[in-house]
Amino acid sequence: MTMMHWTILMAAEAAAEGGKGGLFDIDATLPLMAIQFLILVAVLNALFYKPLGKAIDDRSTFIRTNQAEAQERLAKAEALAKQYEQELAETRRQSQAVIAAAEADAQKIAAQKVAEAQQEAQAQREQAQREIDQQKQEALQALEQQVDALSRQILDKLLGAQSIG
Amino acid sequence: MEMLNALNVFHSLPLAELEVGKQFYWRLGNLELHGQVFLTSWFVIALLVLASVLATRNIQMVPAGFQNLMEYALEFIRDLAKTQIGEKEYRPWVPFIGTLFLFIFVCNWSGALVPWKLFHLPEGELAAPTSDINTTIALALLTSLAYFYAGFSKKGLGYFGNYVQPVAFMLPFKIIEDFTKPLSLSFRLFGNILADELVVGVLVLLVPLFIPLPVMALGLFTSAIQALIFATLAASYIGEAMEDHHGEGHEEH
Repeated sequence: MTMMHWTILMAAEAAAEGGKGGLFDIDATLPLMAIQFLILVAVLNALFYKPLGKAIDDRSTFIRTNQAEAQERLAKAEALAKQYEQELAETRRQSQAVIAAAEADAQKIAAQKVAEAQQEAQAQREQAQREIDQQKQEALQALEQQVDALSRQILDKLLGAQSIG
Repeated sequence: MEMLNALNVFHSLPLAELEVGKQFYWRLGNLELHGQVFLTSWFVIALLVLASVLATRNIQMVPAGFQNLMEYALEFIRDLAKTQIGEKEYRPWVPFIGTLFLFIFVCNWSGALVPWKLFHLPEGELAAPTSDINTTIALALLTSLAYFYAGFSKKGLGYFGNYVQPVAFMLPFKIIEDFTKPLSLSFRLFGNILADELVVGVLVLLVPLFIPLPVMALGLFTSAIQALIFATLAASYIGEAMEDHHGEGHEEH
């Protein structure tokens, strides 16, 4: 504690001496410090604020333009992607339509072929039937002739020559 | 008797000395200067100029190292000026306000970080330039001049209209304000820095090891805050002087 008292005493003493020294000794230091400070402002303005400020401003304009460009490109890319997607969907729909048409065609052709085959089969069957009928007829005729001949022979045998005469 | 013995003990310790109000006088013609203030302020100025040269020697689009640090400082200063003065007018004031901040900041921290006491002067001792009342009054008066200049250059004689805004009744208070502004600016800075140095000095005197460290850290904090306060107030005074009272109303209609 004594030390602090001593310090304060010293300060008070120095201040009390008057004229020279003390805490509130204002002299030519003040204006010279002001001038020195203004010179420092000018020097730092040339060495520090101007070049670095320019660098910062340049960079921010660079970034801003780049960002704008990038955004534009992004928008373009998005539009392109959308367009492609639409085209893709369109193409898919078309291909599906083509597939459906082809399937329908194929079914029609198949149905037609089946119908034709059935018709042909029918025709062949009918023809076979007709041939069978004809052969049956012929066979019947032949049988009738044979029946005639046989019956005449039987008659001959039974009646002998009398009848012939 | 005991007191005298105690005094002798202190005088015999090499580092534990505390000098207040003693100046290292230089003579320039019939002018008297505080040499220790100029010596440390030249050190600070050299530091600032060196930092500026290092930062701008090779400016890169993508900043690195020292340029980065100084750009951070510049952006901080610009932000400070912009918030106080306004987007439209702040640019020409950046060098003044920025130099106020940087000079005071480096002065204060040099006082706290550089072991000035190791350099012996014939009289007085080296300390932060801001712990001398001349420096702070010089800076405060420059701030006053700056805001007067800002007001007159913006509005001409219409600047006097500020004194009767918002009511004519305010006139005497506004005039008193012109005196209290530099007074408070200079004494706040001076008092804080000197008090910080004295507290650290007294503590070192009492307990030379470790105990003063928290106070020193607090001193670093106060020093930075004081620099910020001085620069912010200077910017706000300038902004206030340029504020357009009539314009705002008219623009709305």
